[in-house]
Formats: sequence, structure tokens, C-alpha cells
Amino acid sequence: MDSEEDMHDANDIESLDDDFYSGETEDAPMGFYSDYDDDADDYFDDADYSERTESSRMEQNYTVLKESDIRQRQEDDISRVSAVLSISRVASSILLRHYNWSVSKVNDAWFSNEDRVRKAVGLLDKPVVQFPNASELICGICFETHPRSWIESAACGHPYCITCWAGYIGTSINDGPGCLTLRCPDPACGAAIGQDMINLLVSSEDKEKYSRYLLRSYIEDNKKTKWCPAPGCEYAVNFDAGSGNCDVSCLCSYSFCWNCTEEAHRPVDCVTVAKWILKNSAESENMNWILANSKPCPKCKRPIEKNQGCMHMTCTPPCKFEFCWLCVGAWSDHGERTGGFYACNRYEAAKQEGVYDEAEKRREMAKNSLERYTHYYERWASNQSSRQKALADLQQMQNVHIEKLSDTQCQPESQLKFITEAWLQIVECRRVLKWTYAYGYYLPEHEHAKKQFFEYLQGEAESGLERLHQCAEKELQQFLTADGPSKEFNDFRTKLAGLTSVTRNYFENLVRALENGLSDVDSHGAACSKTTSSKNVGGSSKGRGGRGKGATLTSGSCRITDDNYWSCEHCTYANAKSDTTCQMCQQQRR
Amino acid sequence: MQASRARLFKEYKEVQREKAVDPDIQLSCDDSNIFKWTALIKGPSETPFEGGVFQLAFSVPEQYPLQPPQVRFLTKIFHPNVHFKTGEICLDILKNAWSPAWTLQSVCRAIIALMAHPEPDSPLNCDSGNLLRSGDVRGYQSMARMYTKLAAMPKKG
Repeated sequence: MDSEEDMHDANDIESLDDDFYSGETEDAPMGFYSDYDDDADDYFDDADYSERTESSRMEQNYTVLKESDIRQRQEDDISRVSAVLSISRVASSILLRHYNWSVSKVNDAWFSNEDRVRKAVGLLDKPVVQFPNASELICGICFETHPRSWIESAACGHPYCITCWAGYIGTSINDGPGCLTLRCPDPACGAAIGQDMINLLVSSEDKEKYSRYLLRSYIEDNKKTKWCPAPGCEYAVNFDAGSGNCDVSCLCSYSFCWNCTEEAHRPVDCVTVAKWILKNSAESENMNWILANSKPCPKCKRPIEKNQGCMHMTCTPPCKFEFCWLCVGAWSDHGERTGGFYACNRYEAAKQEGVYDEAEKRREMAKNSLERYTHYYERWASNQSSRQKALADLQQMQNVHIEKLSDTQCQPESQLKFITEAWLQIVECRRVLKWTYAYGYYLPEHEHAKKQFFEYLQGEAESGLERLHQCAEKELQQFLTADGPSKEFNDFRTKLAGLTSVTRNYFENLVRALENGLSDVDSHGAACSKTTSSKNVGGSSKGRGGRGKGATLTSGSCRITDDNYWSCEHCTYANAKSDTTCQMCQQQRR
Repeated sequence: MQASRARLFKEYKEVQREKAVDPDIQLSCDDSNIFKWTALIKGPSETPFEGGVFQLAFSVPEQYPLQPPQVRFLTKIFHPNVHFKTGEICLDILKNAWSPAWTLQSVCRAIIALMAHPEPDSPLNCDSGNLLRSGDVRGYQSMARMYTKLAAMPKKG
């Protein structure tokens, strides 16, 4: 394992370079992260680890939007369209919503064929029906005769009384965001109902709901914006595609992955994270029920329960994706050329024979590998809670202790930044470490060399982090309780800053190694796995629960517990020695 | 509740007046409950349902007309968009395309139109839908005609 030695040396050299970074940072807008990496070239070259901690540099490819910013942008877009097309603001709002709030798409469509756009969106030039002289009109919903003043109409002129309007619009608003595309009640008429009508006719509560849907639509229908997924956070993020980094940090201090909107999970990829999260919840009854009784919409992934009707499913607005319940394919593919329902009937038959029953299979597998899973889950979860604690400690530090410490040690607060930075590093490392356990869980069993290398890196990183955490938590205490300046404080500063930088290097190595798929060990990894697997094909998923935290170079024999079984690489099921394919997933034994 | 009752009463009076106008539809309200209706509709001519009389059951929700009525066939019918066992109807205006401007009478008209123009791409009765989709119009028509004879016509003798 030469590479490990190399790595170790490299660490030491780099850590010397990086030691003196503190004290010169500008106040980042968030007051939370700071940039301690001056080496801007790294940023582009090898997706350096530090790029995500320095959130607020000018390279940042996203903007966090507060509600006022969102409204402002929405208003600006509406005004722009309204001015360019010379139409009312209400009409331009309807148009923009139809084209997913893309001003350029609206302009393109409008100027290429205004009539078609008007028709599609329901913006009428002139009324369809007119009653210029009537003093009384019959409402098209309740069929009562009402004085003219009680009657309202959309641009089409179809008359309905204000009570029925309120009921019609109110029902639609309470049905969800579909109310944004509301049309005139007359089935043959497509006239759009805009916000002016809404504000004229419904209760203030419904108006509020409508305006909230409109705001949400601006974020949710727009491909460049997403809500911050943190609970209770009301900010949205506008992301400019281009750079490879998908991690974004919201103003609420929550970091998440733009791609999958799970919390930031670098260096682990989105697919692994999704698998891991599904796995975490697969144990719960809830997920079992969802798996058994629902299917995710193939487009927006919301779980859908089918409780009646035909196989032609339409997802609820705003998704509205049409698909076939049986094969979960797009409905538009169910033309004559695919054989339509015949193909889906075959699927049904195959399902009854158990060929397609993946949900069942998944549950079965989860049981088989439960022990192995528990090992990784416990460590994942404990790093998670440790990170929460560290976040709380960081807040406490920033809000209370720093000021106090500044007084007792007679140091300006700017000189105490190294403490905050240590805590930020801890928070970040806990996050990375947490995800490495998900990574480790999915690391193929037969790749012994990779596994060893991974566990070595993880162990090094973890023990470094423990030292740092210990120092920041325990050794700081004496200075917090001290009455006056102490001599040892400068030593403490050197130690903590040193530990911070060493730990950062460890984690950078870990992240880099995981992001390139542990390719350093590829060459002898293959040879190693060949020899071991030909000799020791035994080994079930049992018997590896006892491996401690930070175990580094364990022997490659942990798979062998019983020579009568071999565990499937694909699903970990323990098969009898005589089987050549996995009894659970039909994978060939390798 | 009051609004739906008033509206149904309007429809009731309209039905009484219009009876002669549309001889294909005979709507009647349950004697004791204005939210329960039945309809007899004639199978449209030049379809396999011609000559048959089909009974529909309406169950009207309290939010009517803001919510659509629930309608199903009581008479057995072989049609791609009608469930063969329950009589449930797959028709957009009874689901997401409902508008309060529709009435029970116009729903009946829409169902008659559906009988004449089945929509085999959204089948509730796959056997029936598959006959049409595979181009076996004769097979579909003879099946539909047989069930019309069996279930929707007065028994001979």
C-alpha cells in the first residue's frame, strides 16, 4: 500500500503550507463561512474540497432569494412582459405562468404567433357574448335571475352571479395550485381567470392562498429556482447551471444539493444518497405502506395511490404528467405502435409470477443485510447528531462565548476567529464523515483493496476529527472559565489552528479519493480481489458488526464466516455454496 | 347545502318542462331525496346500443354544482369506458374537467355522446378497449350488441 504512505506525506507537507490562514478573512455576507483557501486555481482544477465551505465568493453560481426578492423578481418579470407586449399586468402574469416564468419564451411565442398563444392561454381579445342592454341576467351556475350589478364575467362575457363565482373560484383555490390556470366555467369557453377576478370575488383568506400559489409557482415552475428544503425555511435559491458543483448554502445556513435537494452530500453522489435515504426509511411501516400501495409519478416522483378509475393516470397540477399505472410509462407512448395495453397486460402477468415484484424483493434484502446496514446506519446517525450538536455549539460560541473570551483574554474578537473556524470545520467534517458511511455501505464487497483504502482514509479523517473536536470542546473550557488572560492561550491557539488545518487536509484527501472512485487502488485492487475471491468465496453478511470506529487496516477476511455460504455482491443475500446464481436477485456468482 | 338544493330544484323544474324536447333522456328525481337521481337514456342510433334503454344512477354531492355528481350505469353495458362490473364511467367531465355550468341533463347528453364515440385509449373495460384498438370493430359491435340485447331490452315472452 504505497499510496497510503504517499498520501500521508502529502498531508504533512500541505498542512505546513496551510497553517497560517486565519485572521484575514472578510466578513462573508452570511457571517458564517469564511474563505481560508487562497488558491483560486484549485477551485476549477480538481473541485477542491474547500470550494464548498467558501460559500460567498464571487465564483458563487447561485443566489439566495428572500420572499421580498422573489416578489420583486416576479413583479419585474411581469412588468417587463407587460411593457414589451403592451398587455395588462394580469394578462402578462397568466402568460408568464403558462411559459414557466420564462420571459424569453413568452416573447418568442408571442411574436411568432400571437393568436395561437392567446388561444392556448385563454386571453381573449373581445367578449364572446354580450348583453349590452339587459338589466337582469341569468347566472349560468345557479340559474337564478340577478340584477346586472350582481353579475360578473371574465373577458368572454359569460354571466355568473358573484356568489357562484366565489364558490367556483374558492373550490378551485382549495383544490390546489391548479387554480392558477382557472378558466371560465363555460365548458366551451377557455377564457383565463386572472388575479384581478380573484381579488374582486373571493374571501381575503382565499386571496392570500392564491397569491401564495402564484409566488410558489414562480419558484417551482421555474427551472432555475428551487425552495430551500430546510424545514420552516422560506428562502429560495436561484441556480445558474454551468459549474460542476451542485452544493448550495441557503441563508438559513442549511446546505443542500441542487440536483436532488437532499442535504449537501459531497463527495457521495446523488444516486447513492437517494438509495441510502430510501433505505433508512425502508424500515419504517410508512415506507412499507407506500411501497406496497403507491407508485411514484414517473415525472415528479410524488407517491400516487390509485383508488379508482382506469389505468390512464394524470398527476395533480402542476405536474399533470399522464402515465400508465401498469407500466409507469408515459401515456403518450401508449399508441398503436407500442402495442399499448397488450404490452401492459403482459406486464401484469409477469408481475403475478413475481418477476417484477421489486418492492417485495427490496424488503426481503433489507432484512438479509440488516446487520451490515445497522453498522453503517448507527455511525451515519451518530455523526448526524454530533453535527447538530456542533452546530448548536457553534451558535453558542458566536453569540456568547466569543465576546466573553475576548474580554477575559484581552484579545480583539477578530483574533478569535480561529475558534469559529475550528467549529465550522467540525460541522463540515461531521457532514462529510456522515456521508462516507453511506458510501462505505454501497462500496462493493469484493473490492477489498478499495475497501481497505477507504477505511484507512476514513479512519484517519475520523481520528483527526475526534482530536479537533476534543480540543475545541474540552480544552477551550478552561479559558472560558478563567478570570484573566492566561499564558497558555497562545499555545491553545496554535494547537487548535493546527488541528483545524490538519483535519481539513485529511478530509480533503478523503473527499478527493472518494470523488474519483478510489481509483488510486484500481491496479492492484483488481489483482487482490481476484485472489481473495477465488479462495474465499464464503462469507455472509453476518459477523461484521463488531468493527469499531476508525478501524484502519483490517484484514480482508471479514467476509468469511461460514464456508457453506457465499454472499451475493449485488444484494448480499447468503446463498448456499452449490448455487451458481443468487437465489434472491438472479445475479451470476462471481 | 342550500345552494345545491336550490340548483337541483331548478334543474328539476327544467326537466319537467323539457321532457318532450329531448326524447332520448328521461331524468327523474328520487321521491324522498333530491340528491339521488336516476335517468333512462336511449342507446344512440347507428351504434350497437341502438334500441336499448340504459339506466343511470346519479349521486349528487352537497357541494354540487361546484363538485361533479357521481354517475354510474345500473344497466350492464359493454363499452370501453364503463366498468363492466360496477358501471363506473371514465369521463373527463365527471372528474377533473367538471364545470359547474354542466347540468344533470347535459351530463346525460355527454354520456350518450360517449356511447357513440368510445375512447379506447382510456379503457375501464380493457377487453372492450382492446377489440377496438386492434381494429376489430365487428367483434366489438357484436359483443356490445349482445349485451344490449341481454341487458337493455325488454325480455321477449
